[in-house]
Amino acid sequence: MRGALAPLAVAAVLFAILPMGLSMAGSGYLFRLADVTLIFCILSLSMQLITGVAGLLTLGHAAFYGIGAYTAAILSTRVGLDAGLTIPVAGLVSALFGVLIALPTMRLVSIYFAVATLGLGEMIYVTLLNWVSFTRGPLGIGDIPPLRPFGFDLSSPLGTYFLIAALAVLSLLIVHRIAHSYYGNALRALREDDQCADAMGLPVVRLKIEVFAIATFLAGIAGALWAHTTGYVNPADFRFAESILILAMVVVGGLGSIPGAIVGAALLILLPEALRAIGEVRILAVGLIMFLCILFLPKGLFGEVAALDLVRRQFGAAWRGGSAARPLGWR
Amino acid sequence: MSLLEIDHVTRRFGGLVAVDDVSAVVEEGELVGLIGPNGAGKTTLFNVICGFTPPSSGEVRFAGERITGLKPWRICRRGIGRTFQNLRIFPNMTVFDNVSVGAIGRLGIEPFESLLRTRAARVRAAEVSARTWQALERTELAPYAHLLAADLPYGRRKYLEIARALATSPRLLVLDEPAAGLNDTETAELARFIRTLHAEGLTILLVEHDMSLVMSICQRVMVLASGRKIADAPPAVVQQDPIVLEAYLGTEEPA
Ligand SMILES: Nc1ncnc2c1ncn2[C@@H]1O[C@H](COP(=O)(O)OP(=O)(O)OP(=O)(O)O)[C@@H](O)[C@H]1O
Ligand SMILES: [Mg+2]
Repeated sequence: MRGALAPLAVAAVLFAILPMGLSMAGSGYLFRLADVTLIFCILSLSMQLITGVAGLLTLGHAAFYGIGAYTAAILSTRVGLDAGLTIPVAGLVSALFGVLIALPTMRLVSIYFAVATLGLGEMIYVTLLNWVSFTRGPLGIGDIPPLRPFGFDLSSPLGTYFLIAALAVLSLLIVHRIAHSYYGNALRALREDDQCADAMGLPVVRLKIEVFAIATFLAGIAGALWAHTTGYVNPADFRFAESILILAMVVVGGLGSIPGAIVGAALLILLPEALRAIGEVRILAVGLIMFLCILFLPKGLFGEVAALDLVRRQFGAAWRGGSAARPLGWR
Repeated sequence: MSLLEIDHVTRRFGGLVAVDDVSAVVEEGELVGLIGPNGAGKTTLFNVICGFTPPSSGEVRFAGERITGLKPWRICRRGIGRTFQNLRIFPNMTVFDNVSVGAIGRLGIEPFESLLRTRAARVRAAEVSARTWQALERTELAPYAHLLAADLPYGRRKYLEIARALATSPRLLVLDEPAAGLNDTETAELARFIRTLHAEGLTILLVEHDMSLVMSICQRVMVLASGRKIADAPPAVVQQDPIVLEAYLGTEEPA
């Protein structure tokens, strides 16, 4: 029974309660909002692995989101590739770029790595903007077909929602298994002191490249979902500001915390929408709320310590020996 | 063949010769001290052994194989566990997780194994847990296992570093000034602990600034001064050595 309760609850909310509620409301806008929130959950979860868990501050995450979106857009409009294939291929192309970028930059120390990812992210943006023959530049690519993977028509709001929710859950599972395992302990050790982790037998550079590959793969998937559900991609969607938004989700939610990444994404997508009534002042209000969060809860709304404690109670290794009556390790 | 062989190792920093043509051996099962005044080059020699800095010339062999040029993590997996002079624990991880890193480092870790929860992954995780508990129990840290390392009392943090190194299942344990910052009672406790580890069969190289600890527990003592090895003998002999006494003159009285 242990370990089954939380996943059941998540599944019940995502696949029964929420879609039922949304269908009853019958509002395309609410479905779209749920889709966007889930897409940003994938983005914040993936950045959480790089920045919160492994401690590598990346400022170019939106570029991988963009690579995924453009891969899906180009493959489906020019090659006519099925959405069932454009989504995984977008993830792989993005991960390929991730590894290519990680190889030379992973040896850089903290702030230099951050600036390198910032520069490379902007380079990718400028390429999307200026390689007009391939990306149509600032015009963007339109008429991207909706989700009909392998002949299943999921283009209805409900179908689209189910596919995105399923892929968000899959992403959560991947991030969960990476972060909440001894592999995650190794990543956290890199964050705390990578030289010392090296002396303890951890292949530091290899681990950093691996985590970057996994996270950029997920960002690419999020991009493909964005492309297929929006029907239109434009370089402006993948600018530096978008990277910062994802970073803000991770920090507000709690660096290193997997539930925190979800809380942060949900808050920063839903809050501005909820505040629509107050007009453009809402941007100020969101900024103020973020500021207060960081000021009073610097460890995040759902900090890493609390998150690991919760997750360990659900999925931790059976406790043995010692005198601390709680699970401490991983299975 | 000795377990550790340091063969004419020199390490220069610009014009400064931090380690000057040092040769030494550590035999399997020994408890050897390495002492010397501040700036003698102890930590530098130590870093050369562990792969943190390359030697300018010379080489280090471990169990008969050359380890010079290997990355620190590879040297660790060959069986050299280390602690740091300035405590380098992982403050935002629990005591258990800190120690687990040593076991993970030694046993290796694969992302797809963890991702797919293969049988191999579960076997490996069980082995990591077992080794971690073992190291925690050996250092009497088990009651603190759930605490964040940052919340551990200072004296216990030394043991945390040692536990983490023990979790790498080392054949040679190298301790860099473990007694620094400890009072007399704590130092005596640490001395007893190091002696126990040695009695259990571990080979230990103990780097110390303070002579008394080394003199009381080591079988053999090497002395570095200005990068050179000036003595290598049992404690009783080293204590009477006029060259050693001179090197320490003005800095500290030998115990
Ligand atoms: N990375 C470095 N760059 C330049 N000089 C260094 C470096 N590391 C050490 N040194 C110098 O090398 C010499 C030996 O230093 P080392 O730290 O090895 O001494 P030590 O015997 O460990 O001293 P202590 O007892 O203070 O720990 C010192 O003069 C030090 O300033
Ligand atoms: Mg030193």
